[in-house]
Amino acid sequence: MKQLRPAILGCITLVVFCVIFVVPFFFIALQAVKDRQGSSLLNFSWPSETQLWQNLVDVVQARDYQLLLAYFNSTVITVFSVTGLVIFAAMVGYVLQRRPSKWNKYVNFAVLAGLMIPPAVVPTIWLLQQIGLFKTIHGMILIEIAYNLSFSILLYRAFIATVPRDLDEAARIDGAKPLQLFFRVILPLLKPVTVTNIVVQSIAIFNDFTNPLYYLPGKDNVTVQLTLYNFQSQFSTQYHLLFMNILLVTIPPLIVFIFFNKQIVEGMTAGAVKG
Amino acid sequence: MSGLELKKVCKSYGAVEVIKDLSLQIESGEFVVFVGPSGCGKSTLLRMIAGLEDCSGGTVEIGGEDVTDAEPSDRGIAMVFQSYALYPHMSVRDNIGFGLSLAKTPKAEMNARVEEAAKILQLTDYLDRKPKALSGGQRQRVAIGRAIVRNPKVFLFDEPLSNLDAALRAKMRLELTELHANLNVTMVYVTHDQVEAMTMADKIVVLNKGVIEQVGKPMDLYNNPATAFVAGFIGSPQMNLLEGAAARKLGAEIYGIRPEHIDISRESGLWRSTVRQIERLGNDAILYLDVEDVGSLTVTTDGQTDVVIGDMLFATPQPQNEHRFPTIAR
Repeated sequence: MKQLRPAILGCITLVVFCVIFVVPFFFIALQAVKDRQGSSLLNFSWPSETQLWQNLVDVVQARDYQLLLAYFNSTVITVFSVTGLVIFAAMVGYVLQRRPSKWNKYVNFAVLAGLMIPPAVVPTIWLLQQIGLFKTIHGMILIEIAYNLSFSILLYRAFIATVPRDLDEAARIDGAKPLQLFFRVILPLLKPVTVTNIVVQSIAIFNDFTNPLYYLPGKDNVTVQLTLYNFQSQFSTQYHLLFMNILLVTIPPLIVFIFFNKQIVEGMTAGAVKG
Repeated sequence: MSGLELKKVCKSYGAVEVIKDLSLQIESGEFVVFVGPSGCGKSTLLRMIAGLEDCSGGTVEIGGEDVTDAEPSDRGIAMVFQSYALYPHMSVRDNIGFGLSLAKTPKAEMNARVEEAAKILQLTDYLDRKPKALSGGQRQRVAIGRAIVRNPKVFLFDEPLSNLDAALRAKMRLELTELHANLNVTMVYVTHDQVEAMTMADKIVVLNKGVIEQVGKPMDLYNNPATAFVAGFIGSPQMNLLEGAAARKLGAEIYGIRPEHIDISRESGLWRSTVRQIERLGNDAILYLDVEDVGSLTVTTDGQTDVVIGDMLFATPQPQNEHRFPTIAR
């Protein structure tokens, strides 16, 4: 009986998580292959006729190939934001961890505030308009960096605590200037937590819906999440195309996650266990 | 010349004084060992020489040049850390050559110097490995190699052997001594192990609570310890130090006699004692004796001795090897 209990508990957990994670995904995939009538019922019934390819073409061609533009925009935003996040967060984390000063507590407060206090949308838009960054991709990149910086800094700081100080000192004796020390000795050692950061943040930024909605209006600035609006209107919604769109948008982060999920867990716990 | 001179250096963290007004002269080419118990400030002193810690006062001169405020890399020193501090993501070659590549040394010269250091340290076959694929002794040698290529005026070692096992430690001790003989540069070595200090040093500096207790050649320190602290620290097993009435009876505040300078006999002697414990090391044996009114006494004797626990023995110090100290050990 004692050996059975973990097995039973494990099975129950599997079933519960299956219901939470797999069933919705299956539902999306199912609706995506149905025709308009079939999908509007929004149930699990098997499609009377499948039109996967037709739906795919319709979604991609909608509004003059807007989805492709959206993929391009989202990719640009994601790549540049994540690059900026990795470099800035690693630097801030390093300085916070290694060089205690009277400013540290204020910086720590700012980092925590960044995590806890929800960003105010209207003042941010006003500020962006004043400095001419509203409705621009680079403005959006800066917003994503600012909003996600705190989390990345905390990850980096915990990890940097596990890098022995002797290495810094050895590099100083070898003649490394601060920037050389950081880029040639410290940053390469942060690879595990950098992978974690890249994966977690790129998924979050690629999937971001609300921030591009507020800060990046305009037909040419559309990001993948905003293309979901293409198939919804006040009086009718084309569910089969909407779900096909969801499916297409979900695939890139899903691939990233499947390939890197081991590194995510390693990077998240590496700082915590040894720290 | 590449000597080293400390003039009245001190170091304090807030109100805590770690190094107090310490002055020391180290000649060019000397192998100097700083030795002392944990927390005596020996590592801090070494880090001050390296420039990793600021001096709260005083000056540090290397090769006649005041380097008190110079960057570590501008002092002409190289340091070997206890943890080796190898860069884990670089190969042995890159580890050794890192300092040179930062100094923008031409590639050909860099390779030549790295190969040369590797040859001295027998690392040639391992140049393209990462540190994690090396054994403890090899890692230690890479750390030394990194120091050699910098061509420093002074080598600094911070307890470099304490992470190695006993057999390897003895081997590396010998290698370091030979390296010193070959390179003929000034070396400053920090350890808490008095065996390392005795075997390797030209000059031992005994530190206690941030103050120099005594400076001298190893055998001078062994034969003529200036204070009870040095007497207790140098020599293994430890010198017997008697205080109070037992010491006063022998004419001193503190009376010291080394375990190897006590004769034992079954018939007669100064102290009547019983054997509490015996440690047999093969070539000799260490007896722990209980002496009435005196306390515990350690005696080294012949390894083949037939003494057993509980025996009654008489112990007598050799008069020419007695040490008398005026004040209480700090």
